[in-house]
This record gives sequence, C-alpha cells and structure tokens, in this order.
Amino acid sequence: MKRNRMVYYGEKILVFILSVFLLSLAVFYVSRLAPGDPLVSYYGDRVEKMSPQERAWAEDRLGLNAPIHVQYARWLRDAFQGDFGISYKYKMDVVEVISGRIGNTLLLGGTGFLLIFALSLLLGVLCAWYEDRPLDRIVCKIGTAVSCIPEFWLALVFILLFAVSLGWLPSSGAYSVGKSGDWGDRLHHLILPLSIVVINHLWYYAYMVRNRILEEVRADYVLLAKSKGLTKKRIMFRHCLRSAIPSYLSIMAVSVPHVLGGTYIVEAVFSYPGLGTLSYESARYKDYNLLMLLCILSGVLVILCSMAAQIINERIDPRVRGQEETSEVTKL
Amino acid sequence: MSNRFEVVGIRPLPEQPVQKEKWYRGKPLFSAALLALIVLGCLGCRLLITVDPTYMDLSRCSVPPSRQFLFGTDTMGRDIFSMIWYGGRLSLFIGLAATAISTAIAILFGAASGCAPNWLDALLMRLTEILLSIPGLLLIVLLQAILGRANVLSISLVIGVTGWTGMAKIIRTEVRQIRSSEYVLASRCMGGGFFHILWRHLTPNFVSSIMFMVVMNVRTAIAAESTLSFMGIGLPLEVVTWGSMLSLSEKALLSRAWWIILIPGLFLVVTLLCITSLGNYLRKTVNRKQSNL
Amino acid sequence: MSEEILLDVRHLTHVFPLTKKIAVKAVDDVSFQLRRGEIFGLVGESGSGKSTAARCVMNIYRPYGGSILYKGIDTCDPRAFRANRRMLQTTRQLIFQDSNSSLNQRMTVCDIISEPLKLQKITPPRGSLRAEAEFQMYYVGLDAGCLDKYPAELSGGQRQRVAIARALAMEPELLVADEPVASLDVSIQAQIVNLFKHLQQEHGFSFLFIAHDLAMVEFLCDRVGVMYRGRLVETAPTAELFAHPRHPYTQALLSAIPVPDPRRERNRRLLEFHGESLSLAGALAEVSPQHFVLQEEA
Repeated sequence: MKRNRMVYYGEKILVFILSVFLLSLAVFYVSRLAPGDPLVSYYGDRVEKMSPQERAWAEDRLGLNAPIHVQYARWLRDAFQGDFGISYKYKMDVVEVISGRIGNTLLLGGTGFLLIFALSLLLGVLCAWYEDRPLDRIVCKIGTAVSCIPEFWLALVFILLFAVSLGWLPSSGAYSVGKSGDWGDRLHHLILPLSIVVINHLWYYAYMVRNRILEEVRADYVLLAKSKGLTKKRIMFRHCLRSAIPSYLSIMAVSVPHVLGGTYIVEAVFSYPGLGTLSYESARYKDYNLLMLLCILSGVLVILCSMAAQIINERIDPRVRGQEETSEVTKL
Repeated sequence: MSNRFEVVGIRPLPEQPVQKEKWYRGKPLFSAALLALIVLGCLGCRLLITVDPTYMDLSRCSVPPSRQFLFGTDTMGRDIFSMIWYGGRLSLFIGLAATAISTAIAILFGAASGCAPNWLDALLMRLTEILLSIPGLLLIVLLQAILGRANVLSISLVIGVTGWTGMAKIIRTEVRQIRSSEYVLASRCMGGGFFHILWRHLTPNFVSSIMFMVVMNVRTAIAAESTLSFMGIGLPLEVVTWGSMLSLSEKALLSRAWWIILIPGLFLVVTLLCITSLGNYLRKTVNRKQSNL
Repeated sequence: MSEEILLDVRHLTHVFPLTKKIAVKAVDDVSFQLRRGEIFGLVGESGSGKSTAARCVMNIYRPYGGSILYKGIDTCDPRAFRANRRMLQTTRQLIFQDSNSSLNQRMTVCDIISEPLKLQKITPPRGSLRAEAEFQMYYVGLDAGCLDKYPAELSGGQRQRVAIARALAMEPELLVADEPVASLDVSIQAQIVNLFKHLQQEHGFSFLFIAHDLAMVEFLCDRVGVMYRGRLVETAPTAELFAHPRHPYTQALLSAIPVPDPRRERNRRLLEFHGESLSLAGALAEVSPQHFVLQEEA
C-alpha cells in the first residue's frame, strides 16, 4: 500500500517535471521564432545606427548568435544553477525584476481569489436555500449579465464612475508617488482593481456552487435524512454542503489560471505594476529571459493547480483515476 | 411474399390532443429580436449610413452626442454612430470566424483523441493541458508576433487557435462514450472509415452537447477581440471594430468623454448578453430532449 | 445444406486484461465449424464467452490465440484481412442484442438500412437506395411508412427488424446474431425467430445464432454448441443433443427447461450442478457421430 502511494506520487512528480520541461521548450522556441529584434529592447534606438560588427558583438554578448537549440541548452544549464539571465529592458537579473513586482500581483490575485472563493460559497448556498425565490432569481440574472461584460470595459466604467466623476478612488498604479511604504495608500489603490476581479468572476462560481448543492439536494440520502427528522439547516450544512465542497474545490483549483488571466487584464487597465503588465511588455519587446521565467512561473502554478484538482477528484471518486480533469470554462 | 409471416407492431396510433401552449413561452424572444436588430443594422450599414466612419475631422474631436453626431465623435474626430455599425460588422465576423476555426480544431482533435488508443489519448490530453497552462493572453501575444501585423483574418485565427481546448475535452469525453456503442461497431464491421464514423455517427450525437459551447465561443471570441484591441495587441486603430474603438478610452478618460467609452461598450455588452441568453435557451432545450430519450 | 465448411474456428482463445496482473479468459480453446447453409446455435449462461466468440468471428476483437478461417481465409491475419477486406465486410453481417444501441438514434430508418450499401458503394439493384431500403423493410415485415422514422419512434420488435433488414441488405453469406431476441418480449421473440427461419430458408445463408434460451435454439438450429466458462463443453446436432446430453453441464441446463404441461412440470427434477467441482481440462472427443463432448484425456 505504501509502495503504491510512493509510485503514485512519483508518477505525478515525473509528469510535472516533464510538463514544465515541455512548456519551457515550447515557449523558448515560439518566442525566438517570432519576428522582432531583441536588441532593440536592450539598446533602444541605438540599434539602428549600429555597424554590422557592433551588432555581431552585441548579439554575441547576449548569446543570441548561437543556434536555437544551443541557446536552449545554455539557458537550461544556467537555470539549474538558479541563473535565469538578465532582462534586456531593465538590465538587471530577471529574478530581481520579478520579485519586485510579484508581491503586487499576489496581493491582487490572491486576495481576489480568496474573496471569490468565500463569497461564491456564501452566495451559492444562499441561492440554493432560496431556490427559485426572488433572491435566487435576481442573483442568477445579475450573474448572467455581469459575466457577459468584458473585464476591461467594466474596469473602464468603474474608473469613469468612481475615479473621474466622483473622485473617490485613484484610477491607476499601486501607490501614490513617494508613498510606497504606506499600507493605507496601497489598500486605497487596491479597491478598484480588486472589486473588478471579484465582481467579474464571482457569479460564475456562485452559480456553480448553487447547482452542485441543488444536485445534492435531489439525492436520495437527503430524503433519508429528512425521514430521520433532521432539520433543513442541518441537512444543508452537514450533508449537502459537505459533499458538494470537494468537487467545488477541484473546480476552483482548475480555475486559478482564469482568475490569473483576469488579473493580468485588470492590471493592464489600471497600469498596476504587477506580473501582468510585465509579461505583456516582455512579449512585446522580446525580453526573452524575462518572458521565459514569467511563462514558467505561471505554467508551474497552473500545472500544480490542475494536479491538485486531479488529486481531489481521485479522492472523491476512485473511478476517475487515470482520467483527466475536464474544465468547463475557457476564458481569456 | 408479404403474407408469409404476419406483420406486428404497426398499429396506427390515435391522434393525441396537442397541448395548447403559448408558443413564445420560455423562448428568449426579446434577446433574439435585439440581436437580429443589431446584426441587421451591421449588415445593412452601407445602406443606412452615409457618413464615412474612417473620416477624421480633427476640428471636431470629442464632440458630445448632438443632433449632427448622434453618439458624438471620438478623440480623432470620427463619427461614433457610423463606426458602431461598421465596427459591429467586423466584430461579429471575427466572432463567427474564430468560432468556426476553434470548433473545427476541437472536433478533429477531440474525436481523434477519443478514438485513439489509451496511451495516445493520454499524450494528446497532456499536450492540451500544457497548452492551457500558458496564460491565454501570453499565447495570443506570442502568436500575434509570429503572424506579424494584425488583420481581421489573423486575429480570428489567433483567437480560434487558442480557444478550442475546452470544447475538445468535452468532445473527447462524449466520443469515448459513443465509440464503444454498438452502432459504431456495426458501422465499422460494415467497413466505415474514421471520417465516415466521425461524420455520420459521432458528430450528430455530440453536436447537441457542444452547441452551447459553440454559441458561448462566439461570445468569448468577440470579447477576446475587443480585449486584445483595447490592449493594443489586436487590430490597429484604423480598422474599426468595437474593440479598437474602445482602445481610445484612455484618452477619453482624461477628457471625460464618457460617450466614447460607454456607447461602444454598451453595444458590445448587449450583443454578448443576447448571445448568452440564446445559448442558455439552447442548453435547456437540448437537455430536455436528451432526458426524454 | 452443403458439406462445404464456410467458417472454421480453431482453438480460439481470447483474454481480457483487467489489471497488469489479472486477466480474464473469456474464450478458452474453442473450436467449431459452420457449414454453408447451416444454422449453428451457441448457448450458455451469461458470461460464458458466447458474445466474445462472435465478436472475434466478426473481427471486432483480435483473438489472443487460435485462428478463424472464413472461406479458407485467416481473418485474424491483418494482411489477409486487408487483402480481402471488401469481401469480408460485405458477406459477413452482424446483428446485435440491443437494437436500441445498435441503431444510431439520429439517423432515419432509411439511412440506417442503406448505410452499408453506401459504404461499400454498391449500386442498389432496385434503382435507388430508398427503393432498396423499402424492399428490405417489406421483406422483414415492416411498413414503408417507417422509412422516415427514427429508431426511438419504433417498438423493440420493429427496431430489431430494422437491424435485420440492415444486415440482409448486403445479401450476406454468414449472418452472426448475438442474442438477437434477448431484449424482446416473448411474443415478439417468437415472431423474430420465425422470421429468421423463413429468411434462412429463402436466402440460404449460414447462421451463427447465439442465445441463452434453449427452446429457441431447439426450434431454430441444426446444430448446437454449449459453452461454459469460456469452454465449449459439448456440440452435437440439435435432436441428438436434446435427446442424449452427455456433459454434466448440458444435462443440468436441459433439466432446467420448463415443460408446458403442469402434470409433467410437477415431476420435473432439477439436476444439481456444482460448477466449482467441474474440471474443464481435456479436449472434445466424439462419442457418437457428430456428437462431441469435452472429456479429460485418458
């Protein structure tokens, strides 16, 4: 039994490593096949005035003249030693560039995710409790409506309303100039982006919780519990909610990338200095090393989450072992 | 010869009284009508609108809605009212084209994965997972960079190529269920090849379960195009779509020109809403039919 | 019935792997022959490997061991199969047990019946595909009005007739029916079996009939094989088998047939049968002409 478990987790770890490897390979090749000049991001406009010798020297210095597979092997070797190269645009170690920004994204995305999780559970249970009553209907209607609104436009409308017209909240950035250490100021800047992330994703998951619970409510064991004389409240929380939560957890785990993608867009609208704006920039300006690390970071996160979902699913239902998790949502 | 054995089981059934029900009950008539209005307006824009949507009148930038400019002008002095209809045409086209591309890929990939032996299936599914693990936005940026300067076709291609994984997974699950059913076996015994079985047996049976996804894909594609154009990685300003109209909104925010942001966005959102409610209706009817079988 | 052997199954063995270590031997060293124009019945309890044997014969499963010769062609050999693909696919036809799942719910009856003709690109002898379908429907006792209906709109007996019509549209030489009546009502069962008998007399095809209902087999078949736990334990001409069953399992099986006469039914004695103690080793030995019984080798 213990050996089996070892084999099981060993297999998972192997798949994980393989996936990350393939991902890095794919991103490396695709980004380098794309047209565009990485030297521009390093040297700026000076590139146009460079003589061929200077160019060759510059390319050699950044290691760009070797064939792609040699470049990849070199990158892989350095990466194993913890050296992910320098960012061409910021001219410092990519790890430093990212670590300066990752806190902001984690703050926005992480808080957003937790809020979505808690609120959607609450709303879902409420809707299931008042099934087909006005509250449920209103929430479902609002949910369908809001889920149709593209994130960026919702963000624009909020800026227009709360920042431009009413002037209550700041419209961009993570903190006011010179106040980077002030937490109150940071929170003040966080309110708008965070509410966009939450409002945009909340409804879909609340709807999911509602449907899962309603499915459970129609199961036979609820009748049994009822015939034993349990109260509605007790059945709902002790039985239905408890059996609905594992599958909900797995759905939430799969949806981490969607929330992440949403965060990236919101970051772009609010020019919030996080990983989203960074990865967008790095792809546009051919900042190869930065792009690689960003892709791998988000890829690792996504793969870990989908594995977590798989493990949860296998725990709930041994039949799915060996099958894949099917996610129902595909959003940008 | 017919008298050799008797025929059973053919008995004309008495006509059953049809339950009278108002035909429009539960149907998304309002959404359908609204969507039809928008689509017709976009298709007939050449007949309706005489103002050139690309004409920039720099002397009249950011004019608020008035009698001359029903929806005002944008920061480059173009008439928003005519841009809406011309831009809508392109936006809708991109939505449909991207959906067609992603559906085709999804059907081929899902069916191949569903019919393949287990190890190949696992490999293919692993591949889609890796594809999914690259954030969609990054993938699109990368693809756009490969394809070069964005135009309407390339952006539909990019959105289509990045949006098929969810549908492919559903198709694969369905195909796995259908492929071992006896009519597929029978067809294979009679000599049906992969494409015959895919077209005659598999597709008609899973089409109802992906219909909803297809409609939702149109919605996602339109939203994706507008998001991309807004962020400046989609279509350039000269190509008028709802998304590229919104990419001017940063400037509009500074000049408090609310109509530049609100009006194209409202059209976008209303269209998406109508599509969603049609999709939901489709899902309900499809589910009802299946449970009766 | 001629003496030409149409189908020759030799030492057929098929194994389903359950996990990496455990496997189920569904069919174990089964041999039988089918002559041209003969009706051969294969009986046995559920799980005894009848259907697996039939599916091996139809090339749905690739047998684990043994060989299947059809008209002298080894159908298990991929190269021989590919060389004769068209002949094999047209002259052998299969009818499934559950007509509900063997007919595509989303095709009309007309499409279902004409599907094999379309697939093999055979020009229909009666003009159009629709006329051909109509003829076949008429032939199996269905109204032409059903042509544009969907399987879900038909009754179970009608559906099974559609499945039979589809198989007959190809004018097969070998028809394999995998428990074709098991999912039908008793009255309909009788009609379908009658239909089979008529059709066989008219067409003269060879017929591998799989069933677990002994009365049906006695009525329809020329020869019968009895399967038990993957082994063929006894095979003999029908009359001989029902008169003198030799193998203990066959004897027990026959003693379980209810008799439609209350007085004799009361006296019927059910033979006790202990499957665990029965040895399935050995080979078929001829005890009387054409009558083979599984015996341990002396």
